[in-house]
Amino acid sequence: MIKCVVWDIDNTLLAGTYLESGAQPPAADPELLRVARQLGERGIVHALASRNPPSAAEYVAAVTGLPFAAAECGWGRKSDAIRRIMDELGFAPDAVAFVDDDLMERAEVAAALSGVLVLSPEEAAEAPAWPDFSPAVLTAEGRRRGEMYAERRRREDAARTFGGSRDDFLRHVGTQVSIDPAGAPDLPRLHELSVRTHQFNTALQPVSEAALAGLLGSAGHRLTVVRLRDQFGDDGIVGGAVTEAMSTGTAGVAGAAGVAGVAERAMSAGEAPGAAEEARGAGGEAGAGLASWRVSLLVMSCRALGRGVLDALLAALCREAADGGAAELLIPCLVTDRNVPLRLALAAAGFRAAARPRENSPGGSKLGESTSGEGSPGESTSGEGSPGEGSPGESRPGGTGVARSRAGTAGVPVIFRRELSGPLPGLPDWAAVTAGAS
Amino acid sequence: MAAAAGAAAGAEVLAGLREILARVTGRDQVAALAPDTPLFRDGAGLDSLTGTLLLVEVRRRFGVDVAAEDLNLDSLASLATLAAFITQHRPPS
Repeated sequence: MIKCVVWDIDNTLLAGTYLESGAQPPAADPELLRVARQLGERGIVHALASRNPPSAAEYVAAVTGLPFAAAECGWGRKSDAIRRIMDELGFAPDAVAFVDDDLMERAEVAAALSGVLVLSPEEAAEAPAWPDFSPAVLTAEGRRRGEMYAERRRREDAARTFGGSRDDFLRHVGTQVSIDPAGAPDLPRLHELSVRTHQFNTALQPVSEAALAGLLGSAGHRLTVVRLRDQFGDDGIVGGAVTEAMSTGTAGVAGAAGVAGVAERAMSAGEAPGAAEEARGAGGEAGAGLASWRVSLLVMSCRALGRGVLDALLAALCREAADGGAAELLIPCLVTDRNVPLRLALAAAGFRAAARPRENSPGGSKLGESTSGEGSPGESTSGEGSPGEGSPGESRPGGTGVARSRAGTAGVPVIFRRELSGPLPGLPDWAAVTAGAS
Repeated sequence: MAAAAGAAAGAEVLAGLREILARVTGRDQVAALAPDTPLFRDGAGLDSLTGTLLLVEVRRRFGVDVAAEDLNLDSLASLATLAAFITQHRPPS
């Protein structure tokens, strides 16, 4: 699915050449402008890559009225410009299309960036009819996506000139994170997040609206949505979670069957019997008969990165589970090379890998040795205070090789776990939590 | 590079890390952080965004892919643990 179109300017979005037109630059190309508007309404984001000076991007934004999430103007290679755009906006190559009238530019990008869909203006004119440009779900957030990226640029400009810490900035711009039980109207957006997010997605498997609706009515599950806004704009629902409450005695059963409908493939790959036993073992350590809650889906839009959302959500989930009597919270997660930010947030909130399956890998992903707890230095988020190099505890031989042993981007299933008996992660003061209604 | 003494290599890594941290967090004062200061939150103010930037820069400068080698990211407990991890896992040059 294409999420972002990077447009050339001269003889593509403009019906002519910006610099060679004297005092009056050319108008927008009417056909491509119609196409770009149509794609924008579907939640597809626009960006510019041009060899013109930056003033050209401002002119194009003004003459087309389109919100551009990023603009790269300069003499470098277009493939480098597109790489910077992908980094800035958090898109993978296969989510990006590039439109340019110049055959050489198209060839350079196609050679340097396999995965990016490279189109001539004529081809782009037909793109709205293609499945790759037609998302199945379109939510309020999706329709506003282009504007939200433009708001993000203004926010980031402001952050660059702001003197204080990130937390100070979030307060300064009136950041409001609200965490609430999901209602039926929120389900299309939750489904969309399960489809669209990759960097912050524990399951990496679409969850249908029907499956979510089933969970909404289930006593054992809690659905949570996270909304985000500040003075620059309202991002709507940017994240969510599905939590199952269960007792340790049923962990194995729930792990194997209870998650049906939510990320079934991902979970079954990760929790073949060995892993379920290990999870139960890990739960047993916390104390017999104590409940263990499990987050079977955790998603967040990458647009919310760096805005305190995931920290707030993890803190809220820990608190809710603790209030519900759970002794531990488990978060099964497919670890890939793209969801490092998610692992960082989990580590910051005190989660540790509790169990990893051993040789049982029907999908063919070869896993490293299990870490299964022994030798792990426990709750060491505050550091061990040993400034010397090579202190023996911190590099466990079993904990290595996540990426090397991973089969492509399929991911290595890992269960992250946090005990809820000690101090819980702090809820940032810009976050408000409505307790679960279930 | 000739075979440098381990201590010198460790000091070089520590200095490089302080520089990277100051850049990604936008806080100049982290350049003076004690080695055992926690990196997350109140310590050096690392979060998932700045942490990712830090790991990308560490991989570029020291050739160590911390995220791939350290599942729990225990090495990010403090400046000292991260420096030690990098020194241990650095490819020979």
